[in-house]
Amino acid sequence: MTRTNRKGGPAQRPLWMLAPGGVLMLVVIVVPLLVALYISLLDLDQYTFREWVQAPFIGIDNYIEAVSKSDLVHGVLVSVGYATLVTVVILPVGVAAALATQDRFAGRAVVRSVFLIPYVLPAFVVGTVWRIILQPDGVGNGLLGHLGIHPGLWLNGPLSFWALVIVQTWTAWPLVYLLTLAGLQGIDPTMYEAAALDGAGWWAKLRYVVFPFLRGPLALALLVSFLHNLNNFTLPFVLFGVPAPHDVEVLPVLTYVESFQNFRFGLSTAMAVLSLILVAIPLSAYLRAVRLNTDESA
Amino acid sequence: MMAKRGSGAFAGALVLCLALAACGSTKDAGSTASSGAVDGTGKTLDVLMGANTVFPTQQKQWFGDISAKFKAQTGATVNFETFSSANDELTKIQTSVLSGQGPDIYALGTTFTPTAYATGAFVTLSADDWTKIGGRDKFLPATLGISGPDKSHEVGIPFASRPFVMAYNTDLLKAAGIDKPADSWDALRDQAKKMTGNGVYGLAIGYADSFDPWKFIWAMSIQAGNPLVNGKKAQLDDPTVRTAYQTYLGWEATDKIVDPASVGWKNAQAIAAFGAGKAAYLPMVSASSKVSLDKSSVAGKYAYALMPTIPPGATSTASGGKAATSILSGDNLVVAKYTKNKDLTLALVKLLTSPDQQDIYYKTFGELPTTVAEAKIVSADPVLAPIVDSASKSVGTPFSGAWSQVQLALVNVVVQSVPNLSSGKVDDNALEGLIKSAQSTAQAALDKAK
Repeated sequence: MTRTNRKGGPAQRPLWMLAPGGVLMLVVIVVPLLVALYISLLDLDQYTFREWVQAPFIGIDNYIEAVSKSDLVHGVLVSVGYATLVTVVILPVGVAAALATQDRFAGRAVVRSVFLIPYVLPAFVVGTVWRIILQPDGVGNGLLGHLGIHPGLWLNGPLSFWALVIVQTWTAWPLVYLLTLAGLQGIDPTMYEAAALDGAGWWAKLRYVVFPFLRGPLALALLVSFLHNLNNFTLPFVLFGVPAPHDVEVLPVLTYVESFQNFRFGLSTAMAVLSLILVAIPLSAYLRAVRLNTDESA
Repeated sequence: MMAKRGSGAFAGALVLCLALAACGSTKDAGSTASSGAVDGTGKTLDVLMGANTVFPTQQKQWFGDISAKFKAQTGATVNFETFSSANDELTKIQTSVLSGQGPDIYALGTTFTPTAYATGAFVTLSADDWTKIGGRDKFLPATLGISGPDKSHEVGIPFASRPFVMAYNTDLLKAAGIDKPADSWDALRDQAKKMTGNGVYGLAIGYADSFDPWKFIWAMSIQAGNPLVNGKKAQLDDPTVRTAYQTYLGWEATDKIVDPASVGWKNAQAIAAFGAGKAAYLPMVSASSKVSLDKSSVAGKYAYALMPTIPPGATSTASGGKAATSILSGDNLVVAKYTKNKDLTLALVKLLTSPDQQDIYYKTFGELPTTVAEAKIVSADPVLAPIVDSASKSVGTPFSGAWSQVQLALVNVVVQSVPNLSSGKVDDNALEGLIKSAQSTAQAALDKAK
């Protein structure tokens, strides 16, 4: 911004007009963040939270406890593991669905709408429905039983991790589909014609015409869905309840339990701050990549 | 420019803070009458209660009735707010306690009362306060068991009682030649074995419930003489607790007297299975199960009985053990310290715990009264007799601000044990490890207790 100013913008821009946005940002983001950072340094629990400002200041003890004594590290591993898996799986699924519905055919609008159902359903509904499907004597095991497969427990034990991956994949892939579709709309039809004139087959068209255009939207889709998976609380909470089975003890649920079951608000806030740092890593990588692109194009 | 922007932001924040402060102080401070009849003309009291999902229309009606009655008595209006889950309730309490404004009265679950007490946000009732609500003596002594750490530090006023009992299928027991329900956990297991077969199981248990499991473990332990928490010491690593878990988990793993699918059940699913006639016993239910069961296929073919009071592996209650039939369960009313209308609030509590209202509440919602006079009348009903009996034999869970954490640690042992149950045995080593970790979690929580 400063650079633009120096380059030739009028010296006195009416920056005060940004004030409403600035105040909003201050109130909605900066103040709560600062309060959270402060709380994470307090021994705030059910005994002290009535006069929370006077809760004992314990420095970084909450952070030390979170890392060394709680299941935080395990929670991070589970969260990152499942978020990565889901993100990797939904990429081809979403792209394939978008490509399949790109050309006109009878009933395309219906198919496109149906594809969006998993995405528009509230996570609570998705969790409840899948919880019923994945009961030990539920529809899921019933159908698999007909095929001679008896997987056993889905909502507890080692399979619970895969249950989370499957359900989150089911609900998350339409985001990739949507953004791919948006990317496809941006490709000039003459590009296809030119490629066809050059004798390009479907793969060559896909590889050299379509994919380069999709890079931006897909990068965004992957980032957004990865962060969403990482932060997802409702789905694992509804699917597995609390206390969560060890294999699906994801970070948001762990943070929730510390706050609302164990009343360790300080410790829980420290966990939340740590998860914010975790989320900031892919985010900053993405923002950096986007900025590099902008600089190049400029 | 930076300075300008900074000062602009500061001014904005200041304006906002002032606005928030102004909002915070809009509540009518009002004047409270200190003697004689309470005059609440023009005042409003807020009450937070759990939403009744079984009788939603009746609850709305009841709110209206109470409000009208209180208005006639004092001139004040009563606003009822409801919460739909424990989390909802907790969030409301937290925000109210932090901001110093919100409901004047909260109806809290009994086991949550120690946590509420620990916050120091609720009125500790003085002798004078008790007098204003009609005297401490009007309540059943057993219902006062979880009102405070001791008699002189009580915050909870017993409002409704929901003791736990077990339902049994009279036809199935009769067919198996069992003339009366078991009074020991071992006998319960043996009877259940006898009745398991042909798609019917001896017991219906919700292993995946977030609360049920700890109640079983607590009951079996206290009957064996271990209250789980003794002062500031956690006693989860005691052999009585291991036996309790082995018994509870063994029903699924080794005894095979519960539906294998029950590892995924919540309490409601266990009630549904019993209602479908697929289980002989349904332990750990309250009188509210009557509503569902009377509409199910076992209507008229079931009865309630006290849960076993003789601990696993024993033939009589252990020395030092308590023959607890249930946790002390129900709702306590607590008055927020920040209320600007304490006397008016106590007058409302008096109304809510008056004989007439206790009678109406029981008849409308099926929750037992907490007052001596009303309990006597209710116990005349033979169907409810065991439930009233259980109310008087209920024992309060340890009164500690750390109890919620202990509870969670107890349930966690069951949650993490479930995957191993399909192997046909309760893995002692794994169980030992889980109990050890629960013990250290519970002890850490108790160490912080104030």
